[in-house]
Amino acid sequence: MIEVINPGRWTTIQDRGRPGRERFGIPPGGAADWFAAAVANRLAGNHPDAALLECTAAGPSLRFDSDGVVAVTGALAAGTETWLPRLVTRGSTFAIGAVGPGLRSYAAVRGGIDVPVVLGSRSFCQRGTFGGGFGRPLAEGDRLTVGDFVNGDPPQAAWPAGHRLSMLGPWEVRVIAGPHTDAFDRFALTRLTDIACRATPALDRMGMRLQTLGLHLRADEILTTPVTAGAVQVTPSGEMIVLLADHPTTGGYPVIATVITADLPLLAQVRPGDTIRFREVDLAEADRARRRLDGWLEPET
Amino acid sequence: MWHVARAGDRALLVTLGKAIDPALLAQVLAFDQALQERRPEGLLDAIPAYASVLCRYDPAITTAERLEKGIRQLEGRLRSSPSFGPIVEIPTTYDGPDLGDVAAKTDLSTTAVIELHSGREYLVYCVGFAPGFTYCGALDDQLVVPRRASPRARVAAGSVGIAGSQTGIYAVESPGGWNLIGRTDLRLFDPAADPPARFQPGDRLRFVPVR
Repeated sequence: MIEVINPGRWTTIQDRGRPGRERFGIPPGGAADWFAAAVANRLAGNHPDAALLECTAAGPSLRFDSDGVVAVTGALAAGTETWLPRLVTRGSTFAIGAVGPGLRSYAAVRGGIDVPVVLGSRSFCQRGTFGGGFGRPLAEGDRLTVGDFVNGDPPQAAWPAGHRLSMLGPWEVRVIAGPHTDAFDRFALTRLTDIACRATPALDRMGMRLQTLGLHLRADEILTTPVTAGAVQVTPSGEMIVLLADHPTTGGYPVIATVITADLPLLAQVRPGDTIRFREVDLAEADRARRRLDGWLEPET
Repeated sequence: MWHVARAGDRALLVTLGKAIDPALLAQVLAFDQALQERRPEGLLDAIPAYASVLCRYDPAITTAERLEKGIRQLEGRLRSSPSFGPIVEIPTTYDGPDLGDVAAKTDLSTTAVIELHSGREYLVYCVGFAPGFTYCGALDDQLVVPRRASPRARVAAGSVGIAGSQTGIYAVESPGGWNLIGRTDLRLFDPAADPPARFQPGDRLRFVPVR
């Protein structure tokens, strides 16, 4: 059992999400930085589907009532070393502390956090206020049960520095054009990729609003369509919204471009005020980039 | 001609048309059904809404080109018209905070707004945005009003709203910009139920005034 001494700013239980239920309006959810979360589970010797803690801006303090192993990845954490498994002794308190550079750290406990599966996942869904054990972020006094979702022993060494993603802006984020290319003039995406955007404080697991200084893209109205994480929407006032893991399942704003799967982890680490530049790539580069990260996650043989 | 566009590196957006139209919705539903029955290799999920379907695929199993080919094979070969669902009654208390506003904007009495809203059956075009949110159409032309200038930060679950030519039901508490004219006690989203949402595209419903 783990007791939450201090919940941190916004700590939620996440796993790989609940894809396949968007037709009911349910966001796919899951860890916003899917790569850091996958590494945390690897370092804890967990099954890839084990649930872990997504810590935002300031992490929790946790008291363990038995010996355990914790691996923290993603954004740097003031209270602990990251990207390696750490032993936690019975009765001791493990504090993650302030998070940054980067916005989200992932803490995997060996065995995973065992909360009930709701609609195929243990992830907290903010819009539906279900999942994640409590239907809310962690609160002081919560007690977490450690599961047995293990998959081999934790590795002895830290995660290779060359196999981590940057946690510090300015961010270069790769996109594929569309799907609503027809709603824009043919130079619109080039004009967007020519400028730097700035992340505003309007930022959560559903999406983030970007300022596009000096650029006002115009678009035709579209009929509402389903949307994906990474979609870069342009609002009638010319603002941009980039969708993240807990995005609304449908959207009525045209999507000029979509962030590639391999760069969704970067979006998850953007802090308000950070600079983002988009770069258009083709599907072949998106596939290569995704396979590169998947390759890093392949178990060593 | 269907329009197939890339929606990132793991999905295709198939657009069948550009209107809120029962015949287009029927095509979308027939396409969705065909995908369930003869699932192209590598297709993970299909999400229908209005006149389009998002097709998520596993890039380790298929490619965008291969999936598009499989999708194109269905074009023009769909069953003409799947039947829409039976009419479900939605007991509705017409006491929404925007009822008076809507009456003023449409130059109708509140009684007339209620009669027009409850006086016809609606087709569900989309369940999306938030869990269980049910988009229906089409409203009587006299009831067409724009969204509220400033959205509410919290709209209660069960709220019945109108915006443009559509009416909708909020299934969970969320922000929202629709004009709220009533509410229902019917539970439209339940994570413990299967399926979790009460409605799906193609269902039909009617609002029944209750005191």
